[in-house]
Amino acid sequence: MSYKSHDEIFSSFEEISSSYRRKNQYFDILYDSTSSIRILKTRSEETISINANTSGIVARTFIGNWKELALKDIAELEIIKKKFPKVNNKGGEIKEFEGWKINKEIKPKIDPSEIPIEDKLQKIREIFEYITKFDERIINPIISYGELLTTRIFVNNEGSQLRQVLPRIRLFIQPIAKEGSIIDFDYFSVGAEGGFEIVKEVFDKNLDQVIQNSLDMLKAEATPSGRLPIILDADMAGLVAHESFGHGLEADQVLRDRSYLKNYLNKKVASDICVICDAPNIEGQYGSSFFDDEGIQASKNVLVKDGILKNFIHSRKTATEFNSIPKGNGRRESFAHPVFVRMTNTYFEPGYHNIEEMISEIKKGVILVRGYFGMEDPLGGGMQCTSKKGYLIENGQKTKLLKSITLSGSVLELLQNIDSISKDKLILRPGTCGKGEEDYVPVTSGGSYVKVKEALISPG
Amino acid sequence: MSKEKIELIENSLISKKIQEYEIYFMDTEIYETEFIKSNIASEREVNKFEYVIRTLSQKGKETGIGIVKGNSLEPKDIDKNIETCVFLSKNNSSSKYYFPKNKSLPQIKTADQDILNDPVGFKKDISEEIKKEIDGHKEVSPTFGRFRLHAQHKYLRNSNGLDLNASKTFFYLEIALKAQENGKLSESWEIEYIKEKEDLKIKERVDKWTKIAQNMLKAKIPKPNQHAIVVFPPNVLKNAINPVVGFHSSGRAYHEKITNLKIDDKVASDAFTLTDNGTLEGALMCNSWDGEGNPHQISDVIKNGIFKNRLYDQKFAIMGNTDSTGNGMRIDDGSVINSISNLEISSGDIAKEDMISDIKEGYLIEKCSWLNPDRFSGSFGTEIRNGYFIKNGHLEYPIKGGNISGNVLEMINNCHYITKEREFSVNSLFPYISFKNLTISS
Repeated sequence: MSYKSHDEIFSSFEEISSSYRRKNQYFDILYDSTSSIRILKTRSEETISINANTSGIVARTFIGNWKELALKDIAELEIIKKKFPKVNNKGGEIKEFEGWKINKEIKPKIDPSEIPIEDKLQKIREIFEYITKFDERIINPIISYGELLTTRIFVNNEGSQLRQVLPRIRLFIQPIAKEGSIIDFDYFSVGAEGGFEIVKEVFDKNLDQVIQNSLDMLKAEATPSGRLPIILDADMAGLVAHESFGHGLEADQVLRDRSYLKNYLNKKVASDICVICDAPNIEGQYGSSFFDDEGIQASKNVLVKDGILKNFIHSRKTATEFNSIPKGNGRRESFAHPVFVRMTNTYFEPGYHNIEEMISEIKKGVILVRGYFGMEDPLGGGMQCTSKKGYLIENGQKTKLLKSITLSGSVLELLQNIDSISKDKLILRPGTCGKGEEDYVPVTSGGSYVKVKEALISPG
Repeated sequence: MSKEKIELIENSLISKKIQEYEIYFMDTEIYETEFIKSNIASEREVNKFEYVIRTLSQKGKETGIGIVKGNSLEPKDIDKNIETCVFLSKNNSSSKYYFPKNKSLPQIKTADQDILNDPVGFKKDISEEIKKEIDGHKEVSPTFGRFRLHAQHKYLRNSNGLDLNASKTFFYLEIALKAQENGKLSESWEIEYIKEKEDLKIKERVDKWTKIAQNMLKAKIPKPNQHAIVVFPPNVLKNAINPVVGFHSSGRAYHEKITNLKIDDKVASDAFTLTDNGTLEGALMCNSWDGEGNPHQISDVIKNGIFKNRLYDQKFAIMGNTDSTGNGMRIDDGSVINSISNLEISSGDIAKEDMISDIKEGYLIEKCSWLNPDRFSGSFGTEIRNGYFIKNGHLEYPIKGGNISGNVLEMINNCHYITKEREFSVNSLFPYISFKNLTISS
């Protein structure tokens, strides 16, 4: 990509954008640039790789369907003019929004670029050494550190001129423990929009607990199978909100006639105490932004209020079809990937209950801890959410540590069976979300403790 | 054109007197049609390139490796990327490493020249065929689909005289078909990476997926069984075997002391033979050379239940004082990981039909929600999306829901039957295998 300042990019984009009249057709163009640093340290490798500002552009227009062209160089803009036909009176096929302007750079408290890479590497080596020496049963500490700086510049023929620079940091620590033939681990993950301040504290504080958790997993027992009362920790609650429930709310699935929630708008989908939201505008979260990749301003979307489904999640196209307001959920992995309706920061709002009381009410049940992975079933409303570990509850007491647990069944049944949500602070955990098996975007999901009267669990 | 771009980078490396370097260059074209219902919702073209520079800094028994990815060919950016790369190599401390030298490579055709000549025309033809097929099945409703054509051109040059190039074409196909009856809904949602145009078989696939969607309307929750006999078809088996057995077979798993697999130990049932085959035509990872430029080859991993060979990339081969088996895979950040290429499980001695006939009570699992086993321990637990309950040698009724759980490393010791028939699935050529002692809960 030949170098241009953002003012020059705006100017070039304006020129091409204005050549397509809004009343005839919708047109937008996006510049995407990514710089990243990744450090991976394991027993057998130390990898430092830098992505030195790979960038590209993608333009699209709607002429009855989307035409989209992604190119590596801004010098190739003329190709777009050649490939995108000019049409008449198709502008109304995509709902028109008032153009707006923003030019924002998130300034981290501690700018990672001001910390020499050798210092970061040294810190990771120190963590590695510390974990290795903690206990001989730790056979392989895996430490992954990543910095990502994303710049997106967006112009459309509604007059929008947008630029955002978003720094993100993520740290993942996974001490692999082995005793005899048993191998297991726990992990610690932190990630957010911001700078080195996000990981600095972790470096100093949380290590012993992370390591001990991995060692404890060597003694963990298999979970009982069947229908039992369960409590989801914030991480697992978020996984259910996002993976099992949220994907069915993506309005492209509704438009495809492929969502189990299609006929549930303004109807009861969860117990009265449930409030579930998607909010791309929460400051400093891994899934946050000022605008999406369709130039829509990020704002909070209350999906479920008092158990009633209030809103779907929209792109420009689905908002047009359903005469709704998009909230900043049209997202791309990069310029080379398509826009889809995607979640951002998705969570259960905390409730009013006390976690100790919630546990004490269960005679035999399970707490599922650490949302590990999950898969959507937008048409069937089925659920697969797997926790990394859990705890058995016996006679109102948290007792044995359990290995990985898979939660399955009907998501609506689970949501209806929620009988308490703890008043603990909202916790959001970072991750990446795919649409099907591709197109990964940064997200968070979370909540507080959520108690379910009964759900199907089995070993994960 | 790409040769000129590589030379631009190489000339800069040479002018800076960099002794050990590698340039990996990838030019990619993507052509995609997205369907909503059976209508074309979007047509997308992507044209991008990127390069990765790796430089080495030798430090006695260790090597520092610098890795920088970029896509700017501005001389000042190339210079800066090289300087950064050299700086990283000076600070990095890896085990001993050097770039591969020229070796004899298998001759494999990995790109379809007709498609390279007219990718837009080919995409249009296949998109029309998809539309015709999904429109033709009135018993189901298409909800969503994607067809994508990838054309890749890769170049690899290093300071040890390696100068390779290869083109590759392959496809992505995703179709969701919905069946409904009396208020009941079911879906067949299938995602496939397909290497050869002959294997696209749109009609055959849509017919099969239509039948799945229809059958699932009658699906019941499977009955629980702590010691179930379960048949895994190739597409499900791949998701179990590749991440676990593939990982435990790697030089990396051995050097990180994670695997318990020892050479010449019995690790699987007698009938189980697994091969890594980077030259397997029709499989997605079929190439003449791996991500570092070492030749792809055929390596016995497990033969008749005995663990025979580990799979090495250049780094772990040097560490193990052996040769690379062509198992270095280039990943997104430009680094190389030790990974499988394509896996093959040898055919068994029973026809699929006869295997089913021989099962008194069992389960055929055609699709899981996400069979994502823990690659270290091999344990897994996943929701059943599509399948059948087998009773007295027949597919008694379709099943959906409930969970299947087990451990892949134990499963391969519990092979019950292995079929003669094999099918491609992404980077695997596997038979149907029935396993004993898996757990079904509901």
